[in-house]
Parts: sequence; C-alpha cells; structure tokens
Amino acid sequence: MALAQRTGRSRHRLILLALTAITLLTVDLNGFGPIEAAQRILRDSVQPITSLASTAVSPVGDAWNSVFNYGDLEAENAALRAELEELRGAAIRGEADTETLRRLLEATELPYVGDIETVTATVVRGAVGNFDDHLITIDKGSRQGLEPGMAVVTAAGMVGRVDEVTNATARVRLLSDASLFIGTRLVSTDAVGLGHAAPGDGGTFVIDRGINWPDTDDPSLLPELGSAVVTSAESRYPADIPIGRIAAVERVDDVLMEVTVELANRISDLQFVTVLLTETPESFPLDDVVPAPTVGLGLDPDLLDPATESDE
Amino acid sequence: MSVLRVGGILLATIVVQLTVFVDVRAFGVAPELLALVAVLAGFLAGPERGATVAFVAGLLWDVWLPTPLGLAAMAFATVAFAVGSIGAGLFHDSRLQISGLAVFGTAAAVIAYALLGELVGQRGMVDLELLRIAAIAGLLNGILAPLMIRPLRWALHVPASTRLPAPTRP
Repeated sequence: MALAQRTGRSRHRLILLALTAITLLTVDLNGFGPIEAAQRILRDSVQPITSLASTAVSPVGDAWNSVFNYGDLEAENAALRAELEELRGAAIRGEADTETLRRLLEATELPYVGDIETVTATVVRGAVGNFDDHLITIDKGSRQGLEPGMAVVTAAGMVGRVDEVTNATARVRLLSDASLFIGTRLVSTDAVGLGHAAPGDGGTFVIDRGINWPDTDDPSLLPELGSAVVTSAESRYPADIPIGRIAAVERVDDVLMEVTVELANRISDLQFVTVLLTETPESFPLDDVVPAPTVGLGLDPDLLDPATESDE
Repeated sequence: MSVLRVGGILLATIVVQLTVFVDVRAFGVAPELLALVAVLAGFLAGPERGATVAFVAGLLWDVWLPTPLGLAAMAFATVAFAVGSIGAGLFHDSRLQISGLAVFGTAAAVIAYALLGELVGQRGMVDLELLRIAAIAGLLNGILAPLMIRPLRWALHVPASTRLPAPTRP
C-alpha cells in the first residue's frame, strides 16, 4: 500500500514538473519579459565565476587541443604555408604590390564600416552544448550598447549577428548557421539575393533566392567568378559588409541562379570580433527568415517575411 | 536532501560545463554534465526527489542553451523519473553498472531533449547526427559518472550502497 502511494505521488510530481516545463516553454517562446530578464540576471551573476574559472582551466583546454586536434593544426599550418608562398610569389612578380598593401590597410581598418560606431569584443567561449555549434559568446553586452540584431564583423567581413544580450556578454549567431539568412548583393552584377550557409558546410555560403538566371545565354550577364559578395543596402545590416567571393554559379529550375560563395572569414576560428552599433529596424523579425523561393531583383528579401508584413 | 548542497553541486557542474567542456570535447561532442546529474539523481534519490533535482538541473542548463526555457528541464525530469522507477530494479550500486546507467540515461536524455526541441519548433535537432551526439555524450558521461556519484550522494544524503527501493506495483 505504501509503495503504491509513493508511486502515485511520484507520478503526480512528474505531471506537476511537466506542466511547469510546458508553462515555462510557452511563456519563453512568447518572449515573456520577466523570464528573459531572470535568465539574463542568472547569466550575469555566474559570468564572473565562469570568467575566473576559464582563466584557471584554460591550460587544460589548450593541452587537450594540442593533443587531440594536432591533425587540424597541421592541416591549418599547411594551408597557411601554401597561402604564404602564394603571396611571396605574387610579391616577387611585383604584379600586385600596391593592391596588396591597399587590401592590407583596408583589412585592418574595417573600411566598410564608415562612420558607424563599433565595439571590439573578445570571444569568451564557443558552443556550450552539443546542439549550438553556430553560437559564440563575446565579452561585451548591453552595457556597451549591444542589441540583438546588430551585425558582427571582423576585418575580413561579416561573421554573424547578435542574438541575445546580457549586461556583460552577448551571444552571436554565426554566419555558418544555415538558418541565418542574409540579404546580399553581387558586386559584379548588382543583383540582390538572399543567402545562407550551405547546410553541413559552414564555410560555404549559398545565395539561392532572389536572383534569376539571365534570359539570354550571354556569359557576360553572369556574375564574375571570384568577384565580391557584400551585404545589400536593403538588408537589416549596414550595406557593403564583405561576405565572400563567388566560387560557382549554377542554374536551378531553369529560372533561378544559385551562387556559391566562399566566405571571407574563417568562422570556426575567431578570437576577436567587432560589433557594428547600428539601430536594428524593429520591423525586422529576429526569428529565422524563410521567404518565398523567388524574390524579384531589387526587392528587399528580409521584408518578404510574413511576420514583417503583419508588423507593417 | 540539502537544498544548499544540491545548489552548490549544480553551480559547480554548470561552471565546469561552461569552462572545461567548451574546449575539451571528443569528436566535437561535450559531455552533458547536467544530464549526468539528472540520471544519477534519479538513481540515487528515486523517481520523486530525483525528478525534482533533474528538473532544476535541466532548468539551469536551459538558461545557457539557445533553446526555449523548460526544454532540458522536461527531458531531464522525465529521464530521471524513468531511471528512478525502472533503473533501480535493473542496476546495482557498482561502479560499472553506474557507468552503464549513465551511458544509457544520458543518451536517452539527449534524444528526449532533441525530440522535444523539434516538437516546439527548433529546427535541425533530429537527424543522424543526433545518434552520434547521444552515443558520444553517453560514453563520456559513463566515464565521468564514478567521479560524480560521490558528491551527489553527499548532496542528496544517500550513503554508499543504500538508496531508495524501486517503487513497484503491489
């Protein structure tokens, strides 16, 4: 009898816990302010402890990486060596010295930023769980003026966007997340389209919505391979932030053009990033944007989200 | 059960998870320490108290995860309840069996978390990669379980080789 009573009580407890979880899920999914505030306070409270602990245990992580990721480091070194040799060859030939210097200067001074106020931040940690590979945490938060939706860049170009902010830290969703859509412009043709990381390959970006294949088969109408891809002026982010260079152009469904872009940034290996302190238009939803498959040239792809339309 | 002790264990666990296991990963997968606490709490403290501790552990983990609050809490509480109800009859209090319990319990918690995530609209959580993550996280937790069991016994006031009997039908 006593056992049966305890079993019944356990079940009641589980039901109570499940109902509490469902309530929390519902209010959190609806963006209930106090719940978000409570989470921010808890994260801010624990931040000094984790910061201190990170410093103390960083040798453990370094040792682990040097032992178990040695192969990756070797491959990275080989790639860097090849890149260096290529640059040396170019310098010897003396074909692009001036251009190289200009690019170097541009890279160190974030030329595309213009007058936009920026905050430089250190990446304090990468993914914490096993289902959030495309998130990093940086050491700047709302105290420094960060807000959700702001663009995060490095000298090479776009890295991602601010997703969540606490007083002292911010969570950044990286460009390698296939569900993060960006309004882009192909510099060589001025065509505007919507792109995202290729699923399963965070280093490649695909623009598969919004750009139509030319009516005639004139190759001069196609975007030039190797030409730059930047953020579109009509997107939620400041215009002309570099995203990468065109690696391939393909025709899809006889109508659409699919442009494969090699990202300018090495998203997986970030230490410092810069946040562009621009005001994020409130009408842009922060949820993932999944627009109609075809978007006319010149239209703002972000505005095609139904949630945005209803906001307006 | 001392609330302070359990709170202290949970705080220490989340700090270790957020610092050590951000870098220390096997094949890109980190151990799920909070899930381990949940499974072991179910085993040591039974379905009622164990599920409560697991719920709080999941809720704490939810604060740092990008998924909605309550997801890990629900998954962990359910698994702890199952472990407390069924596992107590199947597993004994030996190091090997506790590791085995941690392997299967963690894998179940990870899968439950992903399934619930898909259910509430979190995309891309259920695929073949999920099985790989569940298997590796389970194995890592299996290795760590013997280290975690002693602090949890202390926090839950469960002496070695004694725990609540499994509730069975009369």
